[in-house]
Amino acid sequence: MELAILLGTLVVLLAIGVPVAFALLGATLVAFALLDLPAIVAIQRMASGMSVFSLMAIPFFIFAGELMHRAGIAERLVRIAEGAFGRSRGGLGQVDVGASMLFGAVSGSAVASVSALGSTLMPMMKAKGYDTDYAVNVTSTSAVVGLLIPPSHNMIIYAAAAGVGVSVGELFIGGIIPGLLTGALLMFVAWLVAVKRNYPRGEFPGWPAFLTAFVAALPGLMTAVIIVGGILGGFFTATESSSIAVIYTLIVAVLVYRSLNFRAFLDATLAAAKTTAMVLFIIGAASGFGWVLAILETPAQLADLILSVTDNPILILLIINLILLALGTFMDMSPLIVITTPIFLPIAVSLGIDPVHFGVIMMLNLGIGLVTPPVGSVLFVGAAVGGMRMEETVRTIWPFYGALVAALMAITYLPFLTMGLVELMRG
Amino acid sequence: MLDRFATMTRWLARCLMMIGAAGIVVMTAIIGWQVYGRYVLNASPAWTEQAALVLMVWFVMFGAAAGVHEGFHIRISVFVEALPLRIRTACRALALLIIAACGAALAVWGTELVLAVWSHVIPTLGVSRGFAYLPLPVSGGLIILFAVERLAELAAGRERGRMEGRV
Repeated sequence: MELAILLGTLVVLLAIGVPVAFALLGATLVAFALLDLPAIVAIQRMASGMSVFSLMAIPFFIFAGELMHRAGIAERLVRIAEGAFGRSRGGLGQVDVGASMLFGAVSGSAVASVSALGSTLMPMMKAKGYDTDYAVNVTSTSAVVGLLIPPSHNMIIYAAAAGVGVSVGELFIGGIIPGLLTGALLMFVAWLVAVKRNYPRGEFPGWPAFLTAFVAALPGLMTAVIIVGGILGGFFTATESSSIAVIYTLIVAVLVYRSLNFRAFLDATLAAAKTTAMVLFIIGAASGFGWVLAILETPAQLADLILSVTDNPILILLIINLILLALGTFMDMSPLIVITTPIFLPIAVSLGIDPVHFGVIMMLNLGIGLVTPPVGSVLFVGAAVGGMRMEETVRTIWPFYGALVAALMAITYLPFLTMGLVELMRG
Repeated sequence: MLDRFATMTRWLARCLMMIGAAGIVVMTAIIGWQVYGRYVLNASPAWTEQAALVLMVWFVMFGAAAGVHEGFHIRISVFVEALPLRIRTACRALALLIIAACGAALAVWGTELVLAVWSHVIPTLGVSRGFAYLPLPVSGGLIILFAVERLAELAAGRERGRMEGRV
């Protein structure tokens, strides 16, 4: 009964347009009143949900992404991808996916990726006669790949939500092959659609130009090496490595590329402060909400319910995937990680699924939610950069959804894709 | 009167965002210092993580309040936008009232929380634990202020469509 009221309140508040964070907080407070719990605990849960050391990596990754965007690092990555993939039919589509993967490797945020690459590549694509909807769809869906390729701030949220025993380093490693696979599938679909629409071929700029582009982008790409190497080598914690990434990006942007003036720096800090406030405030509210769910023993009940339907791991994983996909369409990624990890992870572990494997499944699954309306912050930003309404772009996005869902199924049912490298690392 | 109120809240929201921007830079410096301390000075400063964490809660809560003014919090707008204008306006007023109520909850119970832990000291920082929770009631008060300003604008028939933007 209390559970129905908690969820009902949330749905009503969301439907009338209350911001997600306030809807979560409001529903939590209503449940507290019903259960006769002291409301001061709800506030305390919210504060402690935000005050987690590892979550500090989020503002740093967002900040680093904003700095890279404004320092023109995205353009340099695009030039590498252009050399590598530009020749094929509709080559800019593949360039877009490739550059998103590279940007995902230096930044931890999908929204930073779509705005950085969108503002660079969409004008190029439009100039060569590509349709805007194609440009928006490719850029937005390929930003999702960045969630799997380390570093990824959502993996850090997952590790924090999963509790002890899930290592950020292993999640980062586990995401590499699934990220490459998803990127390859998206490239294939981008090529198919481009052939059908008869988009032009690009030209290979020649090896000297390609190598020059590579050298020019190298200082930016080193960020990925510093972050991932720093964490895996045990030199830094995830939080420390992300702050080093910010400092390193600043040094590269100011001293090497000389492409960041004070105004752009200020804009980057303001944008990072805004996104951080938005994301962490939601995480705080979601922690309070998740705590009520735990009090109501929802995780155990839902586990019983699912296990009473079937005990077949393949079907259970399918059910979990479908629930997460449905939730992802109307909720943002970070609160869903906070709320659903404690619910589904124990079920997955009881089926013998490694928490790292489950985390990677969750990243891609909820990542798909970022490019689906009604609430899809990445698609929303992509459409805004392209100057289109989200509702128009989704009409032709289906092949790209197909690629993402195919990748999700492969990653779900072929554990070695994720665990191969992780097992190698565990030794 | 309303104009002066609007100017005041706009200025305040701007200040809060600037504090947030400064906060993120200081936080980067603190954690950078921690690494520098460990590898170069061979001494890990004990205060850095806690200080950065407390700072983060402060600027997140400031930013969250400013977000009510700027309307940048993520929300679902498709259902409301499908409704006729009058009902849409009513929904928006209701949403703002609920935001204000959440602000009040943060202010009242947040203050209670701060008072309850005031005598505890954060060991590495030497300041009261209440200081780590203080941003919640402060932000709650600011949220009420911003929500009331937007309600006043709405009543005066000149809401600037700030809530339209985000999904």
